[in-house]
Formats: sequence, C-alpha cells, structure tokens
Amino acid sequence: MAKSRGFDIRHQRGFTPIALLCFVLLYMPIIILVVYSFNAGQSIAIWEGFSLRWYQAAWENEQVQDATIRSLVVAGAASFIATSAAVLAALATTRTPPYRGSTFVFAMINQPLMVPEIVTAVALLIFFAMIKVATGYTGLWYLILAHSAFCIPFAYMPIRARLQGMDLSLEQAGADLYGTPWRVFRKITLPQLWPGVLAGAMLAFVISLDDVVITEFVKSAGQDTLPTYMLGQLRRVITPEVNAISTVLLAISVILVMAFFVLSRSKK
Amino acid sequence: MIEVTNVTKTFGSGADAFTALKEVSVTIRQNEFFTLLGPSGCGKTTLLRTIAGFIDPTSGSLSLEGRDILGDPPYLRPVNTVFQNYALFPHMTVAQNVGFGLEMLDKPRSEVQATVREMLELVKMTQLADRQTSEISGGQQQRVALARALAPKPKVLLLDEPLSALDFKLRKEMQIELKRLQSETGITFVFVTHDQEEALTMSDRIAVMNEGRILQIGGPRDIYDHPAERFVADFIGDTNFVEGTIRAIDGEAAEVELPSGKTVASRRQEGGPQAGAVTIAVRPEHATLQAGEGLLSGTLSNIVYFGTDTHYHITLDDGHAFVIRRQNQPDARESYAVGDAVGVSFAPGVAQVLRD
Repeated sequence: MAKSRGFDIRHQRGFTPIALLCFVLLYMPIIILVVYSFNAGQSIAIWEGFSLRWYQAAWENEQVQDATIRSLVVAGAASFIATSAAVLAALATTRTPPYRGSTFVFAMINQPLMVPEIVTAVALLIFFAMIKVATGYTGLWYLILAHSAFCIPFAYMPIRARLQGMDLSLEQAGADLYGTPWRVFRKITLPQLWPGVLAGAMLAFVISLDDVVITEFVKSAGQDTLPTYMLGQLRRVITPEVNAISTVLLAISVILVMAFFVLSRSKK
Repeated sequence: MIEVTNVTKTFGSGADAFTALKEVSVTIRQNEFFTLLGPSGCGKTTLLRTIAGFIDPTSGSLSLEGRDILGDPPYLRPVNTVFQNYALFPHMTVAQNVGFGLEMLDKPRSEVQATVREMLELVKMTQLADRQTSEISGGQQQRVALARALAPKPKVLLLDEPLSALDFKLRKEMQIELKRLQSETGITFVFVTHDQEEALTMSDRIAVMNEGRILQIGGPRDIYDHPAERFVADFIGDTNFVEGTIRAIDGEAAEVELPSGKTVASRRQEGGPQAGAVTIAVRPEHATLQAGEGLLSGTLSNIVYFGTDTHYHITLDDGHAFVIRRQNQPDARESYAVGDAVGVSFAPGVAQVLRD
C-alpha cells in the first residue's frame, strides 16, 4: 500500500457516518439488553428503575445453577479435548516436510467451520441415537464430544499461527543438543507455544459456552446448558432474568476474548 | 575423522529441482580448524547441515570416526552446531541454555553444574549466568551459543557463519577467541563463512566451494598463493589474469609463453592443463614494476595511494589491465608518473596456471 498520498478510505465521503452507523447497529441491541437487565420491573421493554433483583433471581434459580454448571463442565472438557487435538493437528501441519495432500488435511481440520451447523447437529443426533440404542449410555459425554468436534478449528487456528511464527532453528538446536523429539517438544516447543495453547483453549471455551444449535439437537432430557435453558425460557415468560444471564455470559466472553487478543499479540 | 564421500543433495523435483551439492567429497581431520568458504548459495551451509543431520543427502555417504552416521538423527550425532542466529532458547537463562545438552544426555546434576561453570568461564560469561538471553548483547549471545555447543564436549563443532551478525570490531575479537577455544578444547571445528579474510586468518585448512562443488582444499597460504581455478583466484584476494600458452611442462612446473612473446616459469596443479591456451594468475603484490621493458609491457594509467601500500594500474600493450601493489617505505618519493611506459615482471614459479 502506498504510504503517503495513496488510497485512504478515511477520506472517502460518508466514511465516518457509515462506520458510526455500523457500530451503533452492532452494539445498540446489546447495550439495551444490558441496560434492561438492571430493570426493577417485570418488563424487558419498560424501564421502571434500577435494581439487581434479576441477577439475584437468576443466582437463586436452581435451574439456572444447574445449567450453568453443566455449561461450564461441557465447555471446560470440550475445550481441553479440542485444544489437545488442535496442538497435535497444528504440529502435524507445520512441523512436517511438505507432503502431498497437506491442503486437503488442512481443509479437513477446518471442516466444522464450513459445514452448516444444522447439518452437523442433525448428523450427530442420528449418530448418537444409534450409539444410545446400542449402549444405553445417555450421559454428558455426547455433548462434550460434540462440542469438542466443532471447537477444534477454533483452537487450531491460534496454535497453528503461533507455531508458524516460531523460529524453527530453536527446535533444531534442541535436537542438535541431544534432545529426542518428545523432549524437544516438552522443553522447547511447548513452553513457547503456551500463549497460543491458552488462546486456543479460551476461544474454544467461549465457542462451546455459546452454542445452541448442536446442543439443542444432541442433549438428552434434562441436559440443558445455559443457552438452551434461556431459549426454553423465551418460549414462556420473558423477564429481565434472561437479560441478566446474558449480561453475565457477555462479560465472561468479553474477558476471555480480550485475554485471547493479549495472548496472541505477545508473540512479538 | 569426518569422511564425506560423493554427497549429492537435490532439493525439489522436476523443473524446480535445485542441486545444492554435487558429488562432494572431503576428509576433515581430527583437531583441525576446517573452513568451508564460498559465496552464498554455493552449498557450504547445506554441507554443514548434512553433517549435523538436518539434511538427508540424496546420495553419498558420511562417516564420523569410521562409523556411518547418515542414518542417525541429529540427537544421536556427537556433533554440535553454533547457529547463524545463535538460536538461544528465549525461555531459559544463560546457564540453562549452556546446560541443555548435558541435561538431554541425562548427566548427573553436579556434573551439569560443574561443566556449565567451566564453559561460562571459558567464554568469560560467568557474571551473566542467570540473565535471560534477551538481556544480553549480540556478542554475549554469541559466546553463550558457543558455550552451549561446546558443553557436551562434541567430537565436532559446526559453526554456521557465527560471526556474520557481529560488528567489525567484535568480529575481529571473536575470530581470535574462536581460535583460542579451538586450541584449548582440542575439538574439531568446521566453520562456514563467505568472508575470505576470516577463512584465511582462522583456518588450518580451507575448502573453497562454488555451485555445489568443492573446487580446492588446502591451507590458507596454499589456497592464496596457489589457486587452482579461476574462481578460487578471483574469490580470494585480488588477482591479475594473463592469457598465455603452455610451451612445456614438467610435473608442477610449466613454461608459459606470455602475450609479449616472452616465456616465464609458472606453477601448475596436478591434473591441470597440459598444453594449449591457458590463463595464469599473478597476485598484485607478487609482481614488480620497473621502468622500461619487463616480462609484460604497458603504460601506467593510474597510481592510487593507500597509506600502507600503493596500487599501480597498468594498461598492457594488448589492452588488458594489470595491477601491482607495492608496500610504501617511509619518506619515499613517488618515482613513477601516469603515462610512463613500464614493465611488469614476476619471479619464476609465482604465476599460477589455472584450471578453467
């Protein structure tokens, strides 16, 4: 790009109003949601004064507690599994000599990003139904595995980026100094890959925490996560309790995403 | 000690194939400071990395102390490398870096600590043992990289242009330092550089490489005084090339007829040209200038004063250029002037018949 007097979009007429409009459209609904979570009244549209009653209600609601714990368990387990798999996948796609079909492998790893979520959801529903019939197991592992699967590409991307940015000669120096591949990975690659691993895990965690479609299809009876619980609530009475839960989820996501950016930037 | 035999390395395949090493054979002796010298892309680093185990040659064999090591991965070869960018582990301290190799060899803690201390002393870095590698200067990083590679007491130390990132003064210091380390440790050094001066000052023997081949192997003096090929003569130092014709040969001696019609006793390499038109090489400081007729005659076209010496640029009668370099004496007056008719002479055996 030309530096001095080249093309600069900011000089385009209408740039500032359009940008502002976009930001308002993006964030206005969220701001309204957050504001009404503090509403003292029953309505999600009529302001009746400031109160934390809906936060308290959500906090004391056993169904919310139950769904929150389940969400955290699923997101924690799924992000752990997805991140482990993603580290292996990233190593296999950056630390091997170029081979035929590497693009295909790359596409396969990122496949969950491209397949419509509803297709994955239906496929998993049918697949897990077969397993349920065969084994009789109806526990939480179906959800965890399903979440792990679609979280892999999200965990994979920051880890792969970090690996690609790492100096290959460090690993060569490790091997040169009598480190077997496993020890070089543990002593040299992993300590430097760590920010990428954390970033990937956090991204996977947020994605899992937020999922509705696949969870809705895969969950057994009584296995609501926070998002599917909220969806169920919306079908009945809408109170600012939903706003309060959403606001907390939003806060968690924002914190994790910010941490993700800080971590992925610290690679110099 | 290291025996490289007919090693060829081709990268890629088909139209993109690039052959970095072509049938390279060389024997590196115990305890020597051996330098691979050549321009970038000549294959010197490829050869070094082949010895380290990072590159599998396409064909050929490689042995260390009589044992074939081609099948061994880098971590099984008793060979350590000083990388061009040092490749220090950024998440470890100086001492941890130096101790890494010994730890990987599962040496007892006390031995690791003792050796690390010894190595840091050897490279004069004891004070900075607990620093992070990002907190020390380039020259210090260089010393740590050396200590790290020397700590496991390898049979061979490979150095991949380790001085190229240092500034001029530091480079001079490290040249002397490296030579000292080599003689103190008694480890065989294989040193890669594109800097001819570095090669001449440090090496016991030099292999001059170009386009994937080793052109000549010999001591610094041998390579400088008796270049075998035009590339070697041209790459190392300055040289005058004169066309001539071989009239007679006798072993290493050759009678060469110069364009002036006079003949001069020259030196030829074994396996060099035996007859016909040849190029001979004469170093500027090996030739003498005189008024009037010499072996070659011409006109003085330029005189350049350099302080330590003076360069006389001569246009020979056949139009070719010739440069003579003469050391300056105190308070000597310049006795030549541009435009003078001068003669160029050199002693018998000074001119080298080149293999083209």
